[in-house]
Amino acid sequence: MNNIKTYGRIEKMDRNGEAFLPIGHYFITNCKNIPKNIHPKVSIYGLGSCIALILIDFKNKVCGMSHILLPKARLNKTIDYPHKYADLSLKLLIQDLKKHGAVKENIMAIIVGGSKIFNLDENFMGIDNTKAIKEQLEKLKIKVIGEDTGGSEGRGIIFDTKDFAVYVKLTREQNYKKI
Amino acid sequence: MNEKVTNQSAKINLTEAQLDMLKEIGNIGSGHAITALSEILNKNVEVSLTSAEIHSFWKVPDLFDNHNIEVVVIYSEIPFNSDLAIIQIFPKESIINLINLLNDYDKKSIDNVNSNNDLDDFSYSIINEIGNILSGHYASALADLLSIKLIPKVPKVAIDTLNAILNCIIAKYSQLIDYLILINTKLIVSDLNINGTICLIPSIEILRSLFEILNVKYDMNL
Repeated sequence: MNNIKTYGRIEKMDRNGEAFLPIGHYFITNCKNIPKNIHPKVSIYGLGSCIALILIDFKNKVCGMSHILLPKARLNKTIDYPHKYADLSLKLLIQDLKKHGAVKENIMAIIVGGSKIFNLDENFMGIDNTKAIKEQLEKLKIKVIGEDTGGSEGRGIIFDTKDFAVYVKLTREQNYKKI
Repeated sequence: MNEKVTNQSAKINLTEAQLDMLKEIGNIGSGHAITALSEILNKNVEVSLTSAEIHSFWKVPDLFDNHNIEVVVIYSEIPFNSDLAIIQIFPKESIINLINLLNDYDKKSIDNVNSNNDLDDFSYSIINEIGNILSGHYASALADLLSIKLIPKVPKVAIDTLNAILNCIIAKYSQLIDYLILINTKLIVSDLNINGTICLIPSIEILRSLFEILNVKYDMNL
């Protein structure tokens, strides 16, 4: 994968300890190595057909999250934002997690999103991110421990990297719920 | 604009003249659309200057106001070579004001409309009709300008936060490239507390065709 640079890493958080994760961006942290108070909440407000992929190694306290837009990358092109694509994002997140001290066998996944907002009977342009990410997870034998996908409404998601809690709400709901 | 794009991350480079032409196309299209709207509502509609901008796919939501509140988006695809679409974005409140204007009984309030399912057939058909009229007039102005056929498909409507709705549109236009071209016009009907945005989104392949047609028809050098 030598024509893939990796832009899109989120490192800063705002004053409230929140880090917004735009499309095609990702976040990795080793929660043991950072000062006690600095555990950002990584959030996406307005998750539609995109998938939020969260990978956690609970034992080594390493986690990562990416904001995926499309199922598959075309590898004959130079790619600056590989985390746009389900196939590349999962592979790269795992690689990065391992660099930060994770062990592959411990890594577990939570996936959120993948709704069909325009409420069509057929897939909007044939893009089914949920199916794509599940196929990739199965291929790499990563267990999915949490999921909130599908439907026709947008979602908001907050990943608290302090205790690895994931909170999700649908657009019309008032409160976030832990999944 | 003569080279075929093989580098996905390459920024789209448009000349000043090309960008100006896109703004002009947007002005013409949105001008027709807004005249039609003004006639239906029998009210004055103020319109902003059209902007034509190239944005990284992940920055697209930031281009619009209201990206964290609930909006109604009407998406009209125009089958022409590859991809051309017109999206109309209205804050939920504006659409409800519009519906209530054309509907003397059974007034809707912002609280009880949260998704497509909360709209009765009549309200839904008003939104569809407005969408049709605006995109139809926009497309027809462009069709005249370019002497080609541009007929929008039946519009699709979504009610949700703008960011969520934009996901699949951004997905469609950034499969092969990391940038989107957005030609954006804002409108306000101050008497009725209605405001919105009409945005034309051409794919990069379409731009090539567009400029070629203009060069030939109007003896330009885009």
